[in-house]
Amino acid sequence: MEIFKADVVIVGGGGAGLRAAIAVAESDPALRIALVSKVYPMRSHTVAAEGGAAGVKLPSDSLDYHFSDTVGGGDWLCEQDVVEYFVARCSAELTQLEHWGCPWSRTADGQVNVRAFGGMKIERTWFAADKTGFHMLHTLFQTSIKYPSIKRFDEHFCVDLVVEEGRAQGVVTIEIASGEFTLIEAGSVIIATGGAGRVFRENTNGGVVTGDGMALAYRHGVPLRDMEFVQYHPTCMPGTGLLFTEACRGEGGFLVNKDGYRYLQDYGLGPAEPTPRNKAMELGPRDRLSQAFWYEQQKGRTIEGPHGSVVYLDLRHLGEAKLRERLPQIYELAEQYLGVDPAKAPIPVRPAVHYTMGGILVDGLCSSPLPGLYAAGECSSVGIHGANRLGSNSLSELLVFGKVAGEEAARFAKSVAPGNTASLHKQAQAVEQRVLGLKTKTGGSERIATLRKEMAQTMEDGCGIYRLAETMQKTCDKLDELKARFRNVNVEDKSSVWNTEWLLAIELEYQLDVAQSMAHSALQRRESRGAHQRLDGFEQRDDANFLKHSQAHYVADGPPRIDYGPVKITKSPPGTRAYGAAGEKAERERKASHA
Amino acid sequence: MSKRRPYVRPMDGWWRKNPYFVEYMIHEGTALFVAAYAAVLLFGLLRLAQGEAAWNGWLLALKSPWSIGFHLLALAAIGYHAYTWFKIMPRTMPPLVVGGKRLPAWAITGGGLAAAGAASLLLFVLVWGLAR
Amino acid sequence: MPEQQKTIEIEVLRYNPETDQVPYAQVFAVPFTDDMSVLQGVQYIKDYLDGSLSFRWSCRMAICGSCGMMINGEPSLSCQTFLRDYYPERVRVEALAHFPIERDLVINMEGFIEKLESIQPYIIPKEARTLAQGEYLQTPAQLNAYEQFSSCINCLLCYAACPQFGLNKDFVGPAALTLLHRYNMDSRDGGQAERMQLVNAEEGVFNCTAVGYCSEVCPKHVDPANAVNLNKTNSAMDYFLRFLAPKGGTK
Repeated sequence: MEIFKADVVIVGGGGAGLRAAIAVAESDPALRIALVSKVYPMRSHTVAAEGGAAGVKLPSDSLDYHFSDTVGGGDWLCEQDVVEYFVARCSAELTQLEHWGCPWSRTADGQVNVRAFGGMKIERTWFAADKTGFHMLHTLFQTSIKYPSIKRFDEHFCVDLVVEEGRAQGVVTIEIASGEFTLIEAGSVIIATGGAGRVFRENTNGGVVTGDGMALAYRHGVPLRDMEFVQYHPTCMPGTGLLFTEACRGEGGFLVNKDGYRYLQDYGLGPAEPTPRNKAMELGPRDRLSQAFWYEQQKGRTIEGPHGSVVYLDLRHLGEAKLRERLPQIYELAEQYLGVDPAKAPIPVRPAVHYTMGGILVDGLCSSPLPGLYAAGECSSVGIHGANRLGSNSLSELLVFGKVAGEEAARFAKSVAPGNTASLHKQAQAVEQRVLGLKTKTGGSERIATLRKEMAQTMEDGCGIYRLAETMQKTCDKLDELKARFRNVNVEDKSSVWNTEWLLAIELEYQLDVAQSMAHSALQRRESRGAHQRLDGFEQRDDANFLKHSQAHYVADGPPRIDYGPVKITKSPPGTRAYGAAGEKAERERKASHA
Repeated sequence: MSKRRPYVRPMDGWWRKNPYFVEYMIHEGTALFVAAYAAVLLFGLLRLAQGEAAWNGWLLALKSPWSIGFHLLALAAIGYHAYTWFKIMPRTMPPLVVGGKRLPAWAITGGGLAAAGAASLLLFVLVWGLAR
Repeated sequence: MPEQQKTIEIEVLRYNPETDQVPYAQVFAVPFTDDMSVLQGVQYIKDYLDGSLSFRWSCRMAICGSCGMMINGEPSLSCQTFLRDYYPERVRVEALAHFPIERDLVINMEGFIEKLESIQPYIIPKEARTLAQGEYLQTPAQLNAYEQFSSCINCLLCYAACPQFGLNKDFVGPAALTLLHRYNMDSRDGGQAERMQLVNAEEGVFNCTAVGYCSEVCPKHVDPANAVNLNKTNSAMDYFLRFLAPKGGTK
């Protein structure tokens, strides 16, 4: 086994991982950084983010507004001190990215332009056409090349952390091209592996989004926080789940049902006006919009398509020229994948799983309860998303907290003595034997794809937009069954070079653990909040009992243990979440009562 | 020890594998006709310098069936070369912006072909006029 | 239920370095619906017919750049190429041309990464600016000068379309040269002089013979042939400027 000695090892080469790597390199050029990614960094799923990144820009906007939109959007399950820290740093980070070359869209006088997104009082979404994540990721990747201290391990698959003397001291990886193992020793470890949306059937996520880092931390005793909160994005392609960005609605798109009626006005989001009004109608938050779809479906007012019920995203009134300029990728997706010209016909859409609000429990400095282990980005739960993430906050999160994680991990690495290579090596060899066992064992009969499909289906059935105890329990039971069947999994491919079947099996095991944490956290949250909505007697938010974070603890050979942690409230006591005209009225009343 | 053994595919006959490459090779091949025709004209110049008899001999040779055949072939080949040359032209020049909008590729190709056609016609009319 | 299921034959070029001396073709019968991409067809093979088939993929929406393959001899993103367009004929799938095959449909792209790293693909600021000073101003016209060239997803279809790269692996090639041009054209950047050395070099732009197929297959309309050919002009200018002003020009 190869051994590489680093000061900081980062698992995940997407937006957060790259930003962290640059932060370590800038904080001390002498630190050796190992950046491990199972794909070449520019393939990471940050690439698929479309709409934009939030940061206060306009004089009419304020940090307070960004804070309130975020905390209210998260249904008050946010760590408010962390949100305050976050909103104060977004614009500087986005400007930093501008200095590094990100091609932000501009106003006529050359300043960075901003657009509106759902749940946002004032326009504050920085964007690069409708390929913001793509441009951010490539900018970060290309900029990272400047720093000689960043040693990349591209197409290296992380199979475990090594924990010694009660702290994380490195990782074990497989070089995909050869199938060989490497131990990367480090003073600190940053996990930045992204979300876990692919545990669900219909999702917007890329194939790599399998919750690897979440599962690794979880198995080493770090709780996964708020895992029941999984965001359904309201406008996705039927069948594949591919995303039509919220910017479609930010630019003025309508959502209509089979009668051509803008149904959102029936769900407390009105009044319907011809041009977009912030925080109203199509610019409501994602959870509300996906829930409204569900009700329309119940009422029989959706359209039946080959991949289930759909509503229409109507962009026709925006005209071809504007669509080509502001939403070029959306235009092509609709044309190529659906054969729909969005300037001439409405696009059929339905909600699909998009984002994991919860993740590895970390404090505001990205530090997990396991010393030396840090996390940033979608895999982490730093506390800014609460029960429902506001669109455009995740891309900013990658930058703000990627940087924090990098700086903190660098500081920690410098404060600790080098690890004991011999005993780390011994641990790594045990990991190698265990992981190789998955491939070398014979006589298995379960197909990976079958288990994966059943998992994804049961997650959709039990942990969808609306949830019932009975179906959630079924999902929990089914996941137990799948975990048992996984022990009998069959990896046909015994070879070493590019054995992706073996890697799929490892990923599936990660996914099953993460899925369990989601299903059990969901079952035990007996209230409705944000993206977690129940229809079995717990339809209301219950602040008395559930204004707290769930924490799922891994239990070997059993369901996770769920306990709860407090929510930090600094300046915004839980209030009513209201949008549209009702929201404006509520805000006026709140202001009047403060005055 | 790594079991990697990347396989490098041979490039033999690469240009036959894709119609686009075939077109490219024909384009390159037709350039020979441009060179050949330049040689014909240069030879004519040489004959002119050698006196009236030589010049008349060259003119006569041009009227032979072989020569006319060659001219027709060269016309076709050079026509094709010009067409494919203008087809690639938009890819080789900076964007042309007219009235705030980028000129589309077909307009550049079409414009180039039209200009070449017009220039040929002008030359033809001029020479025709001189010859009479 | 989706529309009635049909079956299409997919012929895949297989290669496992541990068992095969040379690649060979294998045919699979894959049930498909009209909305299925070639990638989904290949995924079906892996999931249900032969788990050992290896290929790269991720986003499914033509932005991550992973899933490039030769489909009926044409470099294509398999996620945005549809089986319906080949049915009822057999569709042939092969690893991207001109790259070494690691296994099955997986190419070795280490050489490309080295090239990408060699072109200094980052802003070398023309003038320093602190974060407190805010963003560099860049008008939409200035953005427009390079935006198209910044849209490359590194899918490498252009290399698979470039016979000159096939014949000379040292050629920096379409995507990397385009990225170089993208930074040179950025109003914030002042690094052109440093990058021109690579443009002028033996492995630089003059390997290109204007075949133009790279731009034809580019799924993002980046037009790499344009970037490369504009740099032939830039390189020539650079050469003559050095003649005129040995100490001035662009170095």
